[in-house]
Amino acid sequence: MGILNNAFPSNAVTDAVDGAIGWGRKSSIWPMTFGIACCAIEMMAVYAATFDLDRYGAGVPRATPRQSDLIIVPGTVNAKMAVRVKRLYDQMAEPRYVIAMGACVCGGGPYVKWGYNTVKGVHKIIPVDIFVPGCPPRPEALMDGILKLREKVSKDDVFRRRQHANGEMTAKYEAV
Amino acid sequence: MEALEMYTTDDRSDVYTEELKLNLGPQHPSTHGVLRVELKMDGEVITQSRCDIGYLHRCAEKIGENVSYLQFTPYTDRMDYLASMNNNLAWSLTVEKMLDLEVPERAQWLRMICCELNRIASHLIAFGTYGIDIGANTPFFYAFRDREKIMALLERPSGTRMLYNYIQPGGLRRDVDDNWVDDVLTFCGEFEKAWVEYNTLLSHNRIFIGRTANIGIIPREMALDFGLSGPVLRASGVKWDLRRDVPYLAPYDEVDFEVPIGEGTYGTLGDCWDRYWVRMREMMESIRIIRQGCAKLPGGEVMTKKQKSMYKTPMKPGPGHAYMRCENPRGELGFYVVSEGGASPIRNRTRAPSFCNLAVLDQLLPGTMLGDAVAIIGSLDIVLGEVDR
Amino acid sequence: MNESAIHQSLLAAGIAGVGDLDESSKDPTIEVQPEALVETMTWLRDDAGCAMEMLHLVTAVEREDRMDLVYHLSSLAKHHSITVRVSVARPEGDVEFVPEVPSVASVFSSADWHEREQWDLLGVRFAGHPDHRRILLPEEWIGHPLRKDYVYPSEHGGIPLELDAVPIYEKAPAGEAAERVSEPRPAGAPLTQPPSEPSHRPHAGGKAPDKTKDQS
Repeated sequence: MGILNNAFPSNAVTDAVDGAIGWGRKSSIWPMTFGIACCAIEMMAVYAATFDLDRYGAGVPRATPRQSDLIIVPGTVNAKMAVRVKRLYDQMAEPRYVIAMGACVCGGGPYVKWGYNTVKGVHKIIPVDIFVPGCPPRPEALMDGILKLREKVSKDDVFRRRQHANGEMTAKYEAV
Repeated sequence: MEALEMYTTDDRSDVYTEELKLNLGPQHPSTHGVLRVELKMDGEVITQSRCDIGYLHRCAEKIGENVSYLQFTPYTDRMDYLASMNNNLAWSLTVEKMLDLEVPERAQWLRMICCELNRIASHLIAFGTYGIDIGANTPFFYAFRDREKIMALLERPSGTRMLYNYIQPGGLRRDVDDNWVDDVLTFCGEFEKAWVEYNTLLSHNRIFIGRTANIGIIPREMALDFGLSGPVLRASGVKWDLRRDVPYLAPYDEVDFEVPIGEGTYGTLGDCWDRYWVRMREMMESIRIIRQGCAKLPGGEVMTKKQKSMYKTPMKPGPGHAYMRCENPRGELGFYVVSEGGASPIRNRTRAPSFCNLAVLDQLLPGTMLGDAVAIIGSLDIVLGEVDR
Repeated sequence: MNESAIHQSLLAAGIAGVGDLDESSKDPTIEVQPEALVETMTWLRDDAGCAMEMLHLVTAVEREDRMDLVYHLSSLAKHHSITVRVSVARPEGDVEFVPEVPSVASVFSSADWHEREQWDLLGVRFAGHPDHRRILLPEEWIGHPLRKDYVYPSEHGGIPLELDAVPIYEKAPAGEAAERVSEPRPAGAPLTQPPSEPSHRPHAGGKAPDKTKDQS
């Protein structure tokens, strides 16, 4: 939709198309298989049979960031991993969404005081859409986060997409 | 046909090949967490591998030097997050050794039951994710179905589904409710039927055997040299189980259970299938232990009186050091604590079984193909929270 | 065999540098001089009576006046275990203390990764180690974090490590120094790892324990 971005003035036709595309997008958010630590096990429980994420259309995890819409970051991010998390985020195509799952990525978690190499919240590395607190959050909590993300996605502007804060974010620093 | 013969040659002198550097990176569906392996390959065959860990290093040892003994218990949960009860137990036993704390009998029996339930839950994940590594997606859903039952059982006394922080120095956080033991026995009956299903799904499946037999063979001498422990060691034919050989919890001496070892059923002794099969049989042995534990469970307190008063004042062991080890689902978990009499230790080191087991990977991978590499990593059953601490 | 019997047979083997059995704490420990370490370990592994097949753990413990290295060995066949300790004294004066101990990776392969970790976290060098580099922290990490005088960094190569750090994708507020936005480093230059502000450090009072103060 890049070429059509900001091409139309605000009117009802594009709003209806926005709504239709929003409905389509929210019903098939494909996350990336990305598990760092303990929260990843609860994330796997959400994909599994008892809490079934597939009923929301999000149960097709893609192994590569280039095909996925959503990155759920479960587990503590430290200095070594932050470089890779940023690179994975950069490799995702727009529109892309981030859920920060767990206390560690929301703001440092149990490692906030004495962790010398932990990043105190993944929002310092990549812009986050939904924060799901908990240590680990129950699968119901993660599903609640995904439902809120669906609301957010369905209301996203398509033709008048505002620049994300990450407009200026480029891979400026090198990886190890 | 003539064209095919023209391009088929055994003489590679006119073929230009280059070594391929492949990164089995920290984000990968089958590295069981954030493990990175740098591979050098000749076509499909791995010639050299180098493990790169540290992507989940969470400063546990520094934290251990700065928080009190009781406050460190939740951090032990998060090291091997699939076997939190066992981690809590190892830490509690270390602190009790340093403080000479006596734990009530009921607490010891409940500790054993909870640890064995957690062992089954951990082996279920190993079973489910190993299926996904090999390419079979169905066992994962079966495994998680039964894991949910165990988590519901363990949620009742401890309050959470994972990372229980339930076994604490001096006993248990609180007692179980009245129907808990009956529900555990009901679960045992259901699990015994489910175990037969798992075998039908995966264990004797021809494709699974083809992918795992004769792959990643660890001979006995290599296993001892690298300090391997747990199912990885037992699959190489070494009958060593800390529950039996270095008894750390008294109830293990009063229950009857076998220690399964690898026998080279479908391939060589010590291959991936043996490690998988040892875990499967350990799940059934754990059910045996749980049944006997529930039958013999005594009444009484679950926390020493001395410890209850220690919730208000911090624990301060005298100067000295202690090393205590337990049988984790992954191997031998040990805590080495050096104290100088303060409220926190001056050195708090974890001997993580996955860290020691992973060291053998660089010896196993060269000579195998890329698909086998995934099978070997899966059979070692590592948890990166423990490897990196 | 219990620990004193193991100690007696070790003394009887006649290896120079084997010290006393320290029975002051829960785990009796054999003191060994650094020069005798490899020979002691080899003897403990190969002797038929001791038969210590497994090395479980290599730990470095930093004390005020020395660095201890503790090795935990056990035997599966004989059902016994022993602890061995090596001490390296801290030299006088405020010099950087990098103790050196022979590596036992040639005797027990499990020591390989354990020794790399002790180099990484505590800065103990192991002479003769096949692959002496960091294992848990990034390669360019500065400092050995488990040392008592370690100063927590505020960032590592642009990755913010403090609680109130500005996200890297936001520009620093007007007026703040431009170092907040990470710049690509020139080829060959080391990663920067500036120390954190004293008020941001987690130690009591906000300052790292000062080693140069006299211990009163």
